[in-house]
Amino acid sequence: MTARERLGQLRTKFGSAIRRADVPGDHRLFVYVESCALKAVCRYLFLDLDARYVVSIGADDRPYSGGFLLAHDFAFDADHLLCSVLTHLPAENPKADSISGVVPAANWAEREIRDLVGIEPVGHPYPKRLVLPDGWPENAHPLRKDAPWNELPAGFDPEREFQFDDPPEGCIVVPFGPFHPTLDEPAHFRLFIEGERVRGCEYRGFMVHRGIEKLAESVLTYNDIPMMAERICGICGCVHNVAYAQAVESAAGVTIPPRAEYIRTIMLEVERLHSHLLWVGLACHIVGFDTLFMQSWRIREPLMWAAEKISGNRKTYALCLIGGVRWEITPELALELRQVLDRLETEWRAVAAAVSRDKNLQKRTRGVGVAGPALVKSAGLIGPVARAAGVEIDCRRDHPYAAYDRVEFNVITADGCDVWSRVVVRMNEVFESVRILRQCLEKMEPGPLQSPVAAELPVGRLGLSSVEAPRGESHHFVITGENNRPRRWRVRAPTYQNLQAVPAMIKDQQIADMTISLGSIDPCFSCTDRIETIDLKSGETRIWTQEELIRNLRP
Amino acid sequence: MNLPRILLGGLANLGLVMIFAPACEGLLRKVTALIQSRQGPPLRQAYFDLLKLLGKEDLESGQTPWVQRFAACLSPATALTVACLVPMGFPAPLNGVGDAILLIYLLTLSGIGTLLGGLAAGSTYSLVGISREMMTMIALEPLFTVTILAGAVHTGSLRVNQVLDGSVYATAGFPWSGLVLFGVILASFQAFVQRAPFDIAEAETELMDGPLLEYSGPKLALFRYAQMIRLVVYSALFVSLFVPWGSGLAFPIGWLLFWAKVLGVVLLVTVVAATHARYRIDQAIRFFAGLLAAALGALLLASYGH
Repeated sequence: MTARERLGQLRTKFGSAIRRADVPGDHRLFVYVESCALKAVCRYLFLDLDARYVVSIGADDRPYSGGFLLAHDFAFDADHLLCSVLTHLPAENPKADSISGVVPAANWAEREIRDLVGIEPVGHPYPKRLVLPDGWPENAHPLRKDAPWNELPAGFDPEREFQFDDPPEGCIVVPFGPFHPTLDEPAHFRLFIEGERVRGCEYRGFMVHRGIEKLAESVLTYNDIPMMAERICGICGCVHNVAYAQAVESAAGVTIPPRAEYIRTIMLEVERLHSHLLWVGLACHIVGFDTLFMQSWRIREPLMWAAEKISGNRKTYALCLIGGVRWEITPELALELRQVLDRLETEWRAVAAAVSRDKNLQKRTRGVGVAGPALVKSAGLIGPVARAAGVEIDCRRDHPYAAYDRVEFNVITADGCDVWSRVVVRMNEVFESVRILRQCLEKMEPGPLQSPVAAELPVGRLGLSSVEAPRGESHHFVITGENNRPRRWRVRAPTYQNLQAVPAMIKDQQIADMTISLGSIDPCFSCTDRIETIDLKSGETRIWTQEELIRNLRP
Repeated sequence: MNLPRILLGGLANLGLVMIFAPACEGLLRKVTALIQSRQGPPLRQAYFDLLKLLGKEDLESGQTPWVQRFAACLSPATALTVACLVPMGFPAPLNGVGDAILLIYLLTLSGIGTLLGGLAAGSTYSLVGISREMMTMIALEPLFTVTILAGAVHTGSLRVNQVLDGSVYATAGFPWSGLVLFGVILASFQAFVQRAPFDIAEAETELMDGPLLEYSGPKLALFRYAQMIRLVVYSALFVSLFVPWGSGLAFPIGWLLFWAKVLGVVLLVTVVAATHARYRIDQAIRFFAGLLAAALGALLLASYGH
C-alpha cells in the first residue's frame, strides 16, 4: 500500500481528527492529528494495521509555532513506508495520553520525552526517571529551547541518589554493572536473584549521556553534525553519519550522485562486517570460548586496515556531508578491498563451519535469552534479534537507501528466537555483506561525489531516515531549521529498543545466561564520565569528581 | 621410616612442584596463544606475574580479613602437602606417615580454602561463586575418592605408594573398573584443575573471578599460585593412578618419564580448555552426576574383582 492509501485508511477511520497530512513521496507520510486522538490513531496503526513502532520524538516548537510538538514514528516495512504521527501541544503544561499501554515499545521514548522536553505522558505505566542524572531537578528539561546547552540548572543536587525499586520477596539483589568485564560501557542492571535464577531486574542507564542532540540543535551546523553523529557509537558510527545526512537530504529534497551512494553503501557494509566479526568474538568470550574470540578478531583486523587506508581511520570514517561524501575510493583501494574480502570470506567459512558443528557452544546458547515474535512486536525489536525470531525485517530491503536498491542480497533469518539463532544470523550476514560489497565495487561508475547544495536549506521541513546498522535499524528524525542547523534532531540507535526487552529475555533464566543474553543484542551504551590521575613522581592518586572536571574544562 | 629420607624427599617434591608449577602455567598460556593464532607471553611470564602480585599493595576489602588471610595460606599449603603424598618419579615422601584416606581429605581441604576465601570476602559475586564451587565440590569429591578406593580394594592396602601406582588396573582379569574410572576422571579432569569448560565458579565474564574477587596483591598471588600447583599435583596424581608405566625404571629415566607424562597431561588440559566454552552450573552438575553413577558402578565392579 502506498503512503496515500494508508492516509486514506486513516482519514476514513478518524475523519476530522486528522488535521493535516504531508506526503512527500511514496515512502514517507506525516500525519498531524488532534492531540486527543493521538492514542487512538497509534493504537489503530500498531494493532489493527500492524505497523512497527519506531520511536517517539518530543520537540520544543514554541519559538516557531507557539507550542510543543510530539511525534510517534511507525514503519510499514512491507510497504516501504515510514510514517510519523504528529500532534501540536500547548506551550503551557504540555501533556498527551501515553501510548505505552497499547504500544509497550514506547515506554522509554515517552519517559525520555518527559525527562528532556517536559511533555507529560498521561497514564504511563512506569513513569520513572530514565535519562536525566540522579541529581537533576524535576522541572528542568534540557532539550527545551530556553535551556542553555552548557549550564547546570539551578537546584542540581550532586548528593541525591536514585531510588531503586524494592526486590520481590525471597530475592537477593545482585548488582550487574555499572562496571563489569562484559559491559563495554557503564550501565547498571539490578538483578533480582532467587538461587541461580533471575526473577526480575531494574535498569538504570544513560550514565554517560553526552547531550549530542542538544549540541547539534544549539552549537553545531549541518555539516558539523555528521562528524559528531558518528561519534555516537564506538562500533557502528558510520551508520549514524549516513542516517543523519539522509534525514536532512530527505527533508531538504537533496539528491546525491550515484557514486556517492555506492561509497556510502560500501562503507556501511565494511562497518557491518567488522561489527559482526567483533560481536561473534565477544559472544564467544562471554561464554568462555576465547579461542574463537581471538580468531574472529584476527580475521577482522585486515578489514580495519583496509578501512584505515580508504578513510584514514580504522572506524571513524568521516564519510558524509549533506549532498554526498567526502572522499573517493580509488581503483587501487577497491582492488585491495577485494583481496581483503576474498581472504576474509575463506577464513570466515572455516569459522562458520566449525561453529555450526560445535555442540558445546550450542549448549550454552540454545534456548537462552528467548525473544519470540510476540516480544519482537510489542517491544519493537529490530535487527538480528528480530530476524533470529523469524521476523523478516531489514531496512536495507524494506526502506532502501544509498545503493541498496541496485544490489542483490538475502535477508537472513532463523527461527530459534534464542541466542544461538542470533549467532547464526550474524554469521551468515557476513557472507551477504561480502556479496553486497563485491557488487558495489563492480557496479560503481565514475562520477561526482557531491551534489550542489543551496546555501540555505528550507526551514521547518521534516525528514526521516532508517539505516540498517549491524545491531538493527538506526532511525533519525530531523526538523530543519534556521542558522544553518536543525531545530530538532532525534537519534534512535537500535540498542534503544533492543535493550528494553532484556528484562523480559532474562526473566526466569539462570544468572549465568544473563551476560550472554545481554550480549546477544550487541548492546552499545556510551563513554565514560570520571577520570583518575596518578602523579608519577609522588605516586599520589587522585580521583576527579564531576564538579572538578567541569570546573577545569569550562572557561 | 627414616626421617632424613622423608625430609629430603619432601623437599624434592615441594621444590619441584613449586618451581615447575608456574612453568606449566606459562606453557599452558603459550600453547593457548598458539591455538588462538597469537604470539602469547614468554614462558616465564607466570613467574613474573606472581612476583608482581606479591609486591603489590594488599587491599583488605573483604568482611573478615583474618579468615581471608588464613584461607589464602590454606589453599597453597594443602596443595603442597598433597604433593608430598604423591609419588613423583620416586616413592611418595610421606608414604609411611599418611595414607590414601589422608590424601582424600587433603584434596577436599584445598577446595575448602577457596570456599573459605570467598565466604570471608562476603561480596555478592564471591557468594554466588562459592555456591557454585560448593555444588561442584559435592559432585566431584566422590570421583577421586572412588578411584582411590578402587585402587585400595584391588591392592588391599591404603598405602599411597601401592594405591598410587596404577593400582586401578591391578585386577586378575581385564581391568574393567580401572578403564571406566580412567574415562570418568579424564572427563572431569578440567573441573579438578578449574579450567574451561568447568571454570564456572570463577567465570570471569559472569562473576569476575567469583571467590577471588575481593583479593589483591600477595593474597591473590597465593590463590593463583595454589591454582598453578593444583594443576601440577592433580596431573601427577592422574599419571600415578592411571599411567604408571615406566615409573619403575631406574632413577633418571623413570623420573624424566614421569614428568614428561605430567607435561602431557598439562598439554591435554590446555587443548581442552582452549577449544571449549564454559558450561553453566546446572549443565555441569548434570554431567558430573552421570560420571558419579559410572564411578559407583566401577566401584561395584572393583569390589567383585573386575
